Amino acid sequence: MKILMLGWEYPPHIAGGLGTACQGLTNALSSQGVNIHFVVPQLFGGEEARHMVLSDSVRKISPGGLQPTGPKTASIPVPTTRIPAFLSPYWNPRQFKEVMASITQQQVASLSPALRKDPIARALIDGEVYGVDLMTALGHDQPALPDNVAGNERYSKDLFEEVERFTLQVIAQFAGESFDVIHAHDWMTFPAGVALSERTGKPLIVHVHSLEQDRSGLFVHPQISEIESFGTRHADKVIAVSYFTKRSIERHHGVPASQILVVHNGVYPREMVTDYREKRTWPEHVVAFVGRVTFQKGPEYFVEMASKVIPHLPDVLFVVAGTGDMLPTVMQQVKELGLSKNFMFPGFVQGEELEEIFSVADMYVMPSVSEPFGITALEAVSFDTPVIISKQSGVAEVMEHALKVDFWDVDRMADLIINALMHPEMRDDLARMAREEIKQLHWGAAALKTIEAYQDVSPHASV
Amino acid sequence: MPAVCFYFQVHQPYRLQRYSYFDIQNAETYFDDALNRSIMERIASRCYLPANERLLRMIRSHAGAFKVSFSLSGTAIEQMRLYSPETLESFRELAATGYVEFLGETYYHSLASLYDHDEFKAQVRLHSDVIEREFGQRPQTFRNTELIYNDEIGRLVGELGFRAIMVEGAKDVLGWRSPHFAYRVAGATTKILPRNFKLSDDIAFRFTQAGDYGVDTLTPERYAAILHELTGNADVVGIYLDYETFGEHQGKDTGILDFLEKLPSHVLAHQEWKFVTPSEATRYLHPVSELSFSRVTSWADTDRDISAWSGNKMQQGALAALYDTETLYDGGDITALDMARARETWRRLQTSDHLYYMSTKGDDDGIVHRYFSPYESPYDAFVGYMNVLKDIGARTRQAIEARNRSTAFNG
Repeated sequence: MKILMLGWEYPPHIAGGLGTACQGLTNALSSQGVNIHFVVPQLFGGEEARHMVLSDSVRKISPGGLQPTGPKTASIPVPTTRIPAFLSPYWNPRQFKEVMASITQQQVASLSPALRKDPIARALIDGEVYGVDLMTALGHDQPALPDNVAGNERYSKDLFEEVERFTLQVIAQFAGESFDVIHAHDWMTFPAGVALSERTGKPLIVHVHSLEQDRSGLFVHPQISEIESFGTRHADKVIAVSYFTKRSIERHHGVPASQILVVHNGVYPREMVTDYREKRTWPEHVVAFVGRVTFQKGPEYFVEMASKVIPHLPDVLFVVAGTGDMLPTVMQQVKELGLSKNFMFPGFVQGEELEEIFSVADMYVMPSVSEPFGITALEAVSFDTPVIISKQSGVAEVMEHALKVDFWDVDRMADLIINALMHPEMRDDLARMAREEIKQLHWGAAALKTIEAYQDVSPHASV
Repeated sequence: MPAVCFYFQVHQPYRLQRYSYFDIQNAETYFDDALNRSIMERIASRCYLPANERLLRMIRSHAGAFKVSFSLSGTAIEQMRLYSPETLESFRELAATGYVEFLGETYYHSLASLYDHDEFKAQVRLHSDVIEREFGQRPQTFRNTELIYNDEIGRLVGELGFRAIMVEGAKDVLGWRSPHFAYRVAGATTKILPRNFKLSDDIAFRFTQAGDYGVDTLTPERYAAILHELTGNADVVGIYLDYETFGEHQGKDTGILDFLEKLPSHVLAHQEWKFVTPSEATRYLHPVSELSFSRVTSWADTDRDISAWSGNKMQQGALAALYDTETLYDGGDITALDMARARETWRRLQTSDHLYYMSTKGDDDGIVHRYFSPYESPYDAFVGYMNVLKDIGARTRQAIEARNRSTAFNG
């Protein structure tokens, strides 16, 4: 399977989390045998050493072909092609000016020959419509910009020109290339993705790492929002990094839920976690159990542990999220111990509700009697929630930065929980170290889901 | 004439036993006596006794030309007394030769120099007293816990009457300057004797990986030759390392004990070279210049700073709690309250090793931290430590309240 991926930045020189996410995802995808050609507008200064290694492998590519990457080359960065474009959407006006000042006319002029082959590009470059939004050229109405939009200050008008330039270059260089799916990351690459998809007939996946509405709150930039709307509505499939983002896409852009696949990144945006935490008033300390309430998951050990913690920390809320044959027994156990006011049983949770529980929890507990792996522990960590896991779980073998106990050792479990709740420094260290540690594992899962999306839009291509 | 200055660190902490939150106010047994005994016995038989025996032989056969210095922490001396009296006796024998110097440090191998100067001074005096009592000499030269140093510590040590202090020859501090000369503490007359970390770690960490020198395992011939190359460019070469290197960190089968035994004659084979003790070097060497430190240095980890003990939030939290507890000890008349034991526990908790075990560092540093740690994880180390600290805090508060109540009653 060959993927043409459009991104805006790539590590180590990155302005936001987008580049890091692209790196994590592409590494994991290529180790699953996916062949990726990653296109960014520009690789900036400090990357040169790294980029030289990439350049070598890029040079080997025959024009119009993609470099095959197999599982054995998993650790080698994916090939990238350098197309000069000069801006980052995350820059402030001063940085923008500095970079603009360093660009020569020759650099800009040198692009023209390739671009002139494309009719839309020609029309744009010939000057008559240059500077007009690409969407207008493609027959879409350009949204009117209000005079006084605070959001405008964060984005220069020239950024849109850069987006446009990137779009034109992508059409010029890749319209003739062979690939199965176009995968575009965030709004800056959406016009290029849509244009290329229209030109080539290849399916388009747009990947929403964040949405203007969530980034900017009240000061939404209408043009960016419009590009996001345009991209998500024209895509064959939308990938959202969380249910939170998925809901925003549905709400703001009217994209049907069935069109949007949630693929969790290795790491969640902190704003989302904060948003959940502030949304409702949760008690100061929340300890969560998430999973089927069955013998195998050890819910009764969770309750026993709680009964030892509560005398010392009376205000902790213990959440048991899930259903199962043991739920009535466990609820009865809580009642008999007189702990009802410290417990919450929300039943089976998923999507946003699950994200909220992971976000507000101070500790996630997985006291499984036996657990082949225990993916929820990784999920908790990706919400910056430290975890305590039973030594009888598979995940205990791969995680160093988790608290580990025997499932039956409720005294030890309680000792660790009390200390973790009393000492935020311990939770911080655990969360920070675990987050780094599980990145690799998480990207593997993200890659598998992404491949599902590829197969969905391009059923005949094989991995 | 160039000289080699050997100094060996001998230290054992009182390791804690697992102490749960539910033990607080219930149990007063904090330390793992069985573990501490078995470690002391093991290291005594693998390192202290055989290495001391060889040093003694070398000192005698070189008739005054070979000499070394030691720094024994108070907690190590106590545990020798408890678990391996013959080890203490063999150090006394070394002391009796007159060619072995014992250095000053904090009794509890603590970080007090960074967090509590009164406590620091008290621990240094305690240590000087025990050295004088055990070995009949009062320390003249100071080496702080793990060579932790900055200008302030240099001045503090001078005020305590020491003539010289040993420091890590950190590259960024020395800059273009050589570690092979004596320097002077910024704004004071106390001398500084820097460590050559390359040559020290060649023995401590790279003994069996001496590829840089064209050999698999370092040989005394090769090592002496490297030293001799410095002739004309060195006053004193400071080789400072853990004594446990000899037979424990590097096992006997590596040949490290033989290396130690054979090295003196190879060094002395060059007529210009000799061995000196730190005090001797301090007496005859003129400092080449003042040396000011822009940061806190130590000999630990790749960064040679204090991140081994205070690099993460748990360590910072534990240190804050540890030195905050001290306010509980301002009661003055603590002996009357029978709080000496609590203070003793508090001081044992100041031993830097407890903080060292809480490090979450990875890579090569992490490997060394894990090697020394008796815990499964840094989090276990933190939890046990905080529980004990909480217990002695609670007990002390109760004692003070009880005293106040009885004072009120009697008054």
